[in-house]
Amino acid sequence: MVKDIFEEEKKAEKEFEPLIVAYCCNWCSYAGADLAGTSRFEYPTNIRIIRIMCTGRVDPTFVLETLRMGADGVLIAGCHPGDCHYQKGNFMMEKRFDYIKKAVSSIGIEPERVRLEWVSASEGGKFAALVREVTNQIRELGPSPFRLMRNSK
Amino acid sequence: MSERENLIRKTSAAIEAFKSQRLRWVTGRSQVKVEIDEEKYRKVVDSIMRDEIERHMIIGAIKEKGPLTVEEISQLINLQPSRIMQHIIALRRNGVINEAGEKNRQYLYKLA
Repeated sequence: MVKDIFEEEKKAEKEFEPLIVAYCCNWCSYAGADLAGTSRFEYPTNIRIIRIMCTGRVDPTFVLETLRMGADGVLIAGCHPGDCHYQKGNFMMEKRFDYIKKAVSSIGIEPERVRLEWVSASEGGKFAALVREVTNQIRELGPSPFRLMRNSK
Repeated sequence: MSERENLIRKTSAAIEAFKSQRLRWVTGRSQVKVEIDEEKYRKVVDSIMRDEIERHMIIGAIKEKGPLTVEEISQLINLQPSRIMQHIIALRRNGVINEAGEKNRQYLYKLA
């Protein structure tokens, strides 16, 4: 699935537009993104959402692999602490996230490219604002080293 | 070694490190109560993460180029030979790598 996204992007690429892959949990953030859509909130189209059942399912290898494939940023969005559908999935992610950030900076990529945020099913507006903020942040950081590599091939 | 190769090698090593059992045990902890303070635990996990990434860089280099000496590995992955030797000892003890003859009076190492 992730591979298809990058193939699509490769064809359409001209100027730098950040490509952000978002892993959204099914119960809160994905519903939040859905609400943003049905409420007609506008947000940048730079984001590609992948629905997962819980942020606890996001393995550090997913994030690293996504960056390796050429994403400029990775957003992980889940339920607010204490609201997890599976009780403790988001707490697991919160702990794991520190290690993900350290691993990302140790390989020489800015840790700001990886974000963990909490968005509930009723926060459509927050989701749209978050996507705008993340897109601007990544735009300021510039293309990821992997994307530069891919383009120079 | 070019920056590009270095980045690819490091990222692959980090991915492999997160697949390894040793790192999964410590980063995947959720319910196990550890009787040491949180800061100490984090420091231990950080050093394990660093070790695992470096070890997978060594394994990756051997996988890519075939049997190598410590000096060759050091040139390939930009790491101190003494540090590589420590990892080689650990990897050899775990049965991941083996000696494969000699070159310029140095041991060559291959994957077991």
